[in-house]
Parts: sequence; C-alpha cells; structure tokens
Amino acid sequence: MGTDMTLRNAVAALLLIVTAVPAQAQLRVFACEPEWAALVRALVPDAELTTATSHLQDPHYIEARPSLIAAVRRADIAVCTGASLEAGWLPMLLQRASNPDIQAGRPGLFFAADHAQLHAPHDHVDRSMGDVHPEGNPHVHLSPDQLPEIARALAKRLGEIEPERAVAIQGRYIRWRGDWNGLRAEWRARAEALRGQSVVVQHSNFGYLLRWLGVETAADLEPKPGLPPSASHLSQLLANPELEDANAILIASYQDPQPGEWLAEQTGLPVVVVPGTVTGEAPADTLGGLISEIIRQVESAAAGASHDGV
Amino acid sequence: MFKRFAPYAIFPLVMTAGWATANELNPDVSVTLDGYYKQNETALSHREQGFGLGHTELSLSSPIDDLFSGRLTAVFEEHDGDSEVLIEEAYLQTNGLPYALNVRAGRFLSQVGYLNGRHMHEDDFVERPAAYRAMLGSHYYDTGARLNVLLPTPFFWQVGAEAFAGDQLTEGEEDIGVYTVNTRLGGDISLSQSWQLGLSWLRNRHAKSAETGDGSHDHDHEEGHDHSHGAAYTGENLYIADLVWKWSPDGNNREQQLTLSGEYLYADELNQFAASDDTNEGWYVSGVYKFAPQWSAGVRYGEVDLQEAHGDHFHNQTLEETDVMLSWSRSHFSTVRLQYTHQEATGFSNADNTLMVQYVMSLGAHGAHGY
Repeated sequence: MGTDMTLRNAVAALLLIVTAVPAQAQLRVFACEPEWAALVRALVPDAELTTATSHLQDPHYIEARPSLIAAVRRADIAVCTGASLEAGWLPMLLQRASNPDIQAGRPGLFFAADHAQLHAPHDHVDRSMGDVHPEGNPHVHLSPDQLPEIARALAKRLGEIEPERAVAIQGRYIRWRGDWNGLRAEWRARAEALRGQSVVVQHSNFGYLLRWLGVETAADLEPKPGLPPSASHLSQLLANPELEDANAILIASYQDPQPGEWLAEQTGLPVVVVPGTVTGEAPADTLGGLISEIIRQVESAAAGASHDGV
Repeated sequence: MFKRFAPYAIFPLVMTAGWATANELNPDVSVTLDGYYKQNETALSHREQGFGLGHTELSLSSPIDDLFSGRLTAVFEEHDGDSEVLIEEAYLQTNGLPYALNVRAGRFLSQVGYLNGRHMHEDDFVERPAAYRAMLGSHYYDTGARLNVLLPTPFFWQVGAEAFAGDQLTEGEEDIGVYTVNTRLGGDISLSQSWQLGLSWLRNRHAKSAETGDGSHDHDHEEGHDHSHGAAYTGENLYIADLVWKWSPDGNNREQQLTLSGEYLYADELNQFAASDDTNEGWYVSGVYKFAPQWSAGVRYGEVDLQEAHGDHFHNQTLEETDVMLSWSRSHFSTVRLQYTHQEATGFSNADNTLMVQYVMSLGAHGAHGY
C-alpha cells in the first residue's frame, strides 16, 4: 500500500514536471536583452520573463546554453534586438528549441531593429572592418526617439499574440508613451548643457544616445568594432588631438575597464562606468531610468572636467 | 491555438530579413581554412607530418522556405598526393514543427557524444581525442534521418534518434546499418555556471560482418592510413557518456571562460570472432581556459584501450595522450594555435611526441555556434 502510494505520487509528480501546465495562462516571454524585458514588463506586468543576457554580459557573445534553449521552447514570444546583434547565438537557439511559434518570419519572433531607423547601415561590409553590422548599429535601445516606435510595434505584436489582453496592453503602451514623452522633454533640456561635450567610448553601444544628446565621440578604444582594445591602438590614441577636448571615458559595465583605466592614467580623464542596459536595480531598472542615469553620470563627469579646467 | 497560427498568413516571409544581408536570396557561403605544420608522425592521427591542410570546408546554408532550411558542406582533403572532395553535410532541417519536433534528413554529423555533432573547426585542439579518432573516425557523419524532441520541462531535456546507411562507419549489406539513440540534459547552476550531460547509444549492424583482415601478422598496415575515413575500431554497440561544465564570471563569456569536458566511449561485440571480454574503450578529459578575449590555453588527457582485429583474433593496443595548447584569436573568425602532444603507446609503432602549429580561418558567413 505504502509503495503503491509512493509510486502514484511519483507518477503524479513526474506528470506535473513533464507537462508543466501553468495554472493560469501567463504570457511567457523570452527576451534576448534586459532592455526588451523591461519594455515587456511595462506592457504586460504579469508576463513570465526569461532574459538571456544581463547588463554584465556582452550580448554579442552569449552561448546557446541548454537553459536558454529550454526557455525558448517554453516561450510564446521572443523579443530581441535583431540587426545581427544576436547572430552568434540566436539562430542556434531557435533551431534547437524548435518552437513552432518562435521562428524567423513568424509573429512570435520580434526584432526591435525591424522597427527602427538604424544608424550607419552599410552597403558593403567585409570582416577587415571588424564586426560591422551591415544593417547598421544595433544598439538602438538607447535611442530616445526610436524607442516609442519600437514600443508601439511591440505592443501591437503582444496584442496579436494575446488578443484577449490587447486592449489592456494598448492602454499600458499609451501610459508608457506619455511617461516617455515627459522624460524625453526633461532629457532634451539637460542635453542643452551637454551639447558639444565629447567622450571616449569603447564600442558603439552608447552611439544613439550620445548623438541624440549632441555629445561627440572623441575616440573609440576598440581598434575595430568588436576587437578588444590593443596596446598599440591605445598608444596611438594618446596622440589623437581630439582627446584634448574629451571630458570622460565612457565604459559599459560588461566591458573590461582596464584599457579605459590605462588611458585615464595617461590623460587624467575620468572613467565613467555606466550600465549598458537595464539592470535589476533602481534607478536603471527601466529604460527611462537607465537613460536618465547615463545622462546624470555624463553630466557629473562633464561638470568634474570643467571644474578641473577652472 | 488558432490565434497562434492564424497570423502566419498575414506576416510576409520578408521578415526573415532580421539577420539577412544585401544578397538576401543567396545562400550564406562560408569557407574554413585549416592548415598546420606538424613536427612528427603520431599514432591514430589523420594529420600527416610536415606542412599540411586539415579540414578545408566549403559550406552553403540558407532557409529554404518558412519550414525548411538546408546546408551543404564539402570538405577538401589531400592524402598522399590524391585530392578528394567529401560531402560531409547535405541535409534539410525543419524549423519548428509542432511539439518541438525537429527533423533532419540527408547527410549530417551524428549527434552521439559531445564533440561528434560539432564542426571540427570549433574544436579547441588540433585533433579530436584518441578515442574519437579510433572509434568514430574523428567525426561520424552518414546519410540518414534524425528525429529530435525537446521535452517541455523547466530544464533542458532533449531526446533523439537517428538512422543511417551505416557505410561511413563500416561497409555492410544492411539498408539501415546504424541506429543511434541520444538524450541530453542541461541547465544553469548559477549566473556564471552551466552544464550539459549526454548519453548516447550507437548500434552498428554492420560490425559483425566487418572486414577483419587475413590474420597474417603483418604489422605494417596499422601505420597506414588505409584511407577509409571511417572508424578503424568499431563494435556492434557503442555507448558514450559526456559531461560539459562551463564557467565565466557573471556569465560574460566574452572576457573569460573555463570549459571542462569529458567523455567516455565503450564498444562491445566487436566482430564475428569477438568474445564477450573483447571491447574497445576510451575516454578523455579536457580543460580550456579563455583567460582574455583573444587568448585560450588548454590541457587534455585521454586514453584508449583497443582490440585490433587480425582475422579470427585480436591484438591489444593502448594509447595515452596528453595535449597542451595555446591559441590566439585576432577576431571571432581567426585562430592560430600552438599545441604539444605527448603519446605513450603499446601496439602502435608510430606513437611519438610532436609540436604542431595550426591556423583555422573562417571566411564569409559564420554560423551560430552550439554550446
């Protein structure tokens, strides 16, 4: 009798694990990067989210790990950047997960870059140029002007996947849009003081925001896009006259800070490490909060630099 | 369920442009150049002494339509002055059948073990471990069909079966010479650690009828690469267990990554003359540490304990192999590797120590890598 019950319990447990039917049909979302997870959370707060990467990871180089394959298998929709940012791992995830809903060309695969005007698309690329994406700079999540369009398209797509919640999602999008417009006006005002400043970067991941703010890029620590900073390239940078006008070295938190720190020692420029994307902690836990935080840090670096000058 | 499928008709196929480039309708072309210099001849090796070309590949791949994609990989090899072109992959692959079923048909790499399903240019060492070279011909590919299913569990659990002609492993009469069954489990331990475990069984129905030689004690042929690319040491049953563990700080494998992997291979029922204690066995463990974005260092140790068929009896052969390597990758597409291999053997007259320098260069499209 005892063993019988144990067996029955074991079978029941196994069935539960294997079928894993959620009590309530939550929308299951696979987000390639935290910025899209944050956007989904704003539109569908109760979505069950799996985020493939964190702000401490370089999204170009993630591996198609077993846990990610399993997560794509279970998801209703995958929300990714596109424009080849995930070319090294997403195709493998999609193929291995074999989720019929989440395949190229199907509504369950949403690419933010498909709904944005990417900066610097190339008609011709070859690998001697480094890891250049022919579609243009994919780091579009920091573009204050393009995010509303991406959010609008995402809200529409989520509504198509979950028609019974489409109205609620649309409502949240309108509220999000209002908040965003408010934030953007605030950033616009702050950008006035930053216009004409310049920073040294490592890769083009802050490109959209810096251009929007009118902050110039004095130099890039990467010798070619995607190649790690080399000693020879760094010593060449020292001779770059534009470095004179720079206010700071801007590094994302997933990047190796050593090259920037080395340049900081040589030039006296401050190193500003900011999250490249949404983190789990306030104030950078939403896209708006993230942009506000990056602007705040650039402002304080600029203020510090001008103090030094005085 | 209807809501999931209905919109398919509405969304045009052009959305595949997500990662397509200018020539969107052309297949992706990729070429892998693999060349080396090897100081000495070594046992069970597919690479000859001196300068040589390794696994030079030309691969074409593309989505065929919204349901199928396909790949063709031709390998160019040269042995004793003869050039040959081998078709290593020519398969169609389904994209997202219901219930997460996945079908592949045509010629492709069998998914048994950890390394076998991977492309050789992804490897961390110049050659595969001795167990792979002896028992799978470095990589076993054949013509057949595969069905995989990914179970809807909260962790990764895949079950799959393959059926092959079998002639690439052992020539024989059966239409379906090889069956394989494989399962794979995996997941994350923390943000920085992940793992995968695989168990495979390969049934070789041709093994019993394999050519066993004339039994004469002519030891010359053991050196000679008799030019079959199949495995020299087969058995009716081949069992493989593999385990992989990876670690990188904060999961950021761009900067640093440690990969530990190991496999155990066991084959029995070697041929029609084999007794129950005639078995082939091999294993390896490997540790590779990417200590900077462009640099990796690794150590691998492996052993094989083999029975070489001589007519109606066997000769025992053993090989212990240690490899140490250092590699530098300028970009994701180029690698230069320095490797030292130490061999200790019984029954192999050509076991030796050797230094090797190798380059592996990827031209053109670069497909996504597996785990």
